[in-house]
Amino acid sequence: MPIDTATREELGVSGIAKAYTGVQALKGVDISVAHGSIHALAGQNGAGKSTLVKILSGAEVPDSGTITVDGHRVRFRSPQDAQAAGVQTIYQELSLVPQLSVAENVLLGDLPQKSLHSVDWATMRTLAADAIARVGFRIDVREPVGNLSVAEQQGVELAKALHKQARVLLLDEPTSTLPPPDVQRLFQVLKGLAAEGVTMLYISHRMEELYELCDEVSVLRDGQLARTFSIADSEPAQVVSAMVGKDLEHSLEGEALSGGSVPRLGPGPTDQVLMTVENLTEEGKFRDVSFDLRAGEVLGISGLVGSGQSELASALAGARPRSGGAVRIDGKAAALASPREAIRAGIGLLPQDRKAQGFVPDMSVAGNITLASLPMFSRFAVRSDRRENSEARRLVDRLGMKVSSVAQPMKTLSGGTQQKAILARWLVRSARILICDEPTRGVDVGAKEDIYELLRDFAAGGGTVIMASSEIPEALMCDRVLVMAAGRVVATLRHEDIDPHGEAIIRCFGGADQTVPPKATSSTESTQAAVHPRSPLNDVPQKRGLT
Amino acid sequence: MSGQTTPLRPGTASTTGGQTAREKRSAAESLRQALPKSYLLLVLLGIIIIGFIASPDFLTGRNASNVITFSAIIAVLAVGQFFVILTGGIDLSVGSTVALSTVVTAMLLQQGLPAGVAVIATLVACALVGVFNGVLVVGLRLAPFIATLATLSMVQGLSYIIQSTSLIQISNQQFITWFSDGSVLGIPNPVVIFVVLTIIAAFVAKYSTFGRRLYAIGGNREAARLSGLPVNRDLLVTYTVSGLLAGLAGLLAAAQLLQGSSLVGQGYELDAIAAVVVGGASLFGGRGDPISAVVGVIIIATITNIMNLVGISSQPQLVIKGAVIIVAVFLSSAGGVARISGALSGLRGRRAHREKAA
Repeated sequence: MPIDTATREELGVSGIAKAYTGVQALKGVDISVAHGSIHALAGQNGAGKSTLVKILSGAEVPDSGTITVDGHRVRFRSPQDAQAAGVQTIYQELSLVPQLSVAENVLLGDLPQKSLHSVDWATMRTLAADAIARVGFRIDVREPVGNLSVAEQQGVELAKALHKQARVLLLDEPTSTLPPPDVQRLFQVLKGLAAEGVTMLYISHRMEELYELCDEVSVLRDGQLARTFSIADSEPAQVVSAMVGKDLEHSLEGEALSGGSVPRLGPGPTDQVLMTVENLTEEGKFRDVSFDLRAGEVLGISGLVGSGQSELASALAGARPRSGGAVRIDGKAAALASPREAIRAGIGLLPQDRKAQGFVPDMSVAGNITLASLPMFSRFAVRSDRRENSEARRLVDRLGMKVSSVAQPMKTLSGGTQQKAILARWLVRSARILICDEPTRGVDVGAKEDIYELLRDFAAGGGTVIMASSEIPEALMCDRVLVMAAGRVVATLRHEDIDPHGEAIIRCFGGADQTVPPKATSSTESTQAAVHPRSPLNDVPQKRGLT
Repeated sequence: MSGQTTPLRPGTASTTGGQTAREKRSAAESLRQALPKSYLLLVLLGIIIIGFIASPDFLTGRNASNVITFSAIIAVLAVGQFFVILTGGIDLSVGSTVALSTVVTAMLLQQGLPAGVAVIATLVACALVGVFNGVLVVGLRLAPFIATLATLSMVQGLSYIIQSTSLIQISNQQFITWFSDGSVLGIPNPVVIFVVLTIIAAFVAKYSTFGRRLYAIGGNREAARLSGLPVNRDLLVTYTVSGLLAGLAGLLAAAQLLQGSSLVGQGYELDAIAAVVVGGASLFGGRGDPISAVVGVIIIATITNIMNLVGISSQPQLVIKGAVIIVAVFLSSAGGVARISGALSGLRGRRAHREKAA
């Protein structure tokens, strides 16, 4: 949507600064968002995005600076103040009550009442149905929210914000939990709302989304505004460079974004078959998966979120029970019935949900690094802190981890550094096969490069990697890619056979079953008018991050 | 783990991490970090000063020895409870296991068995109660709260059945010497037992692989499992140790009371849990250390002792004890010290900012 230069400013942020004990999170940020536009806010973790969102949503009070809504200066001392001024926030983790109905959720806090404070159900349902229709969903408002899909829940959240007369919507990574067809739906809804005059600040790291949806993007770096780009006159690589503060020309991410050919992570497979998987099945998750894994190979398992690649990766690491099939490692049958057995067989897992599965938050970096190999650092079950710490320091140096000391608690590290520590855990054990499940989810652009570099090192040192990922650029880095759809392997593609944009992979995502219907009934009638087919963006390829 | 396991020696808090140059912190910073960990000893010191002012009888060797001896039973329970809480669990059955222990010992001694045999048989029986808890938690995947609540009831019933008469007297002099009257180098045996036990527990928590695994299990069970730790086995061992130590606490109680009774130990589990939490452990697991848990026991016992000395009757004592627990837990587990100092420095920062702006 080209910006009409005559449009007025809806949301103005000027000189906003905020310090937390000792840390200057925001150092005077100015952003101006035009009425009815979608303005992206991008930046690495720690750049100040979330602090700015908290300030705009009233959750935090800035130390200095001003906020204006529709030209009027506002002061938010609480989320209620922000909402009263028409600024509604939709957080990554939805804040709905799953047991209550859609109608109750939409009108929560503002339930229509009859005499004697009894709830006026009829009015409530009508109001809720109106709000739901406005965001283009057709959902029974009596349904408990817990029964809805994530996309529908997000629709309810949007409807709730609209019901509260939102002038400005803050959307904090709304697509992080959505499958691609629903992402498209959401974008249609958001574009429709923008056409109705709702102004949006859209937070995301995903370049392809920004370029599909937004009008402008403001990049934050180290608490300052690095630059505001007009989407129409910029390229993703410029935005990414502004985010990391350096030229990305030679990085993998840069290569992937610019559509050049992506170099492989590893030196390529050897002839030696390390692992043989035959008809591996987990009921309801994946079926009849068979492949040979060669030593030194980087094998990608690609698929849309929910296609079974994550479950397959976990099963190969012994973290999930399987219901059928066989795995042989070095020609010997491996039961892989528990992570412990898989680890003994030389397998290490970088789990998908780092915080929930990857590390012990209160424990030191050293403790987390040595967690899987305690016997190596102990005699008669008595540990040696000295040996643990010296090994941990060696890995901290080798992996370039940013820590103040190996005694630092794990929870205080950035996402990328945490991921390195988990990788270090397997390096200590000299794992032969590293299984990564969405290895760069939730880490920022700079740390992504570091993680690719580490995987490259691991492969160069003779290690073998299995990488389950829904990100196309990651699949492009593998020697070979198994493409999964609906729990089955639908294609096996070699690196050479994949075009630079990964279209060959994307084509297989539909799998044998091309009839995957878009969820719920489409109510495009209400939004159609607002949906503009995206004008072909300069030379931005049709790259899609598929989560 | 240095963070959790050196709370009593604030000066050494940063030495375990290694001595590289980047670890140097400003003195104020390291004091701020050490404060929440060393506050327990400050609290104890403060209470002792209050006691000294409140009653001339308080700071006497005899009274101190009374307080510590009185603490022994709960301290032994608190050590076992600490390990269970460290894993993120809870053991409500220890109070009734104390009763079972007194009843079984008294009965076996009454049968004329030698003290050594009675003691070992009792400890085995109580350890089996722990195994039972462990199987419920690990095997049947019951929530620890519910599993041990059920065990509490079962063990209590079992004690009544075994006891059958009103109560069983203990007259075996050997047994009484071991667990109550005897002393080593002038230190009463109950004190020797709990001090040695605390030291062993502190060593296990800080230096053994088992201790490290328990911190990992309590800190993030799934991460521990995916790292190949034997989570189920470790949990089973932890509940077994808790049962075993409840048995030991029961032996101390039996020797002090000279009888076995199924009424002994009621509510002790709550005293032990309160002490562990006062000592800074988190009920979510993964944090705390056994020495702090035992200091927690002594803090609560000292306060009770002072209230007795100044003649506060037992009903208001309970109210005061509850209030003390709330304050102590706010300061330690709920991060009260950090929150207060954070709020203060935030205020200071805002003021500095305003001055700069002006």
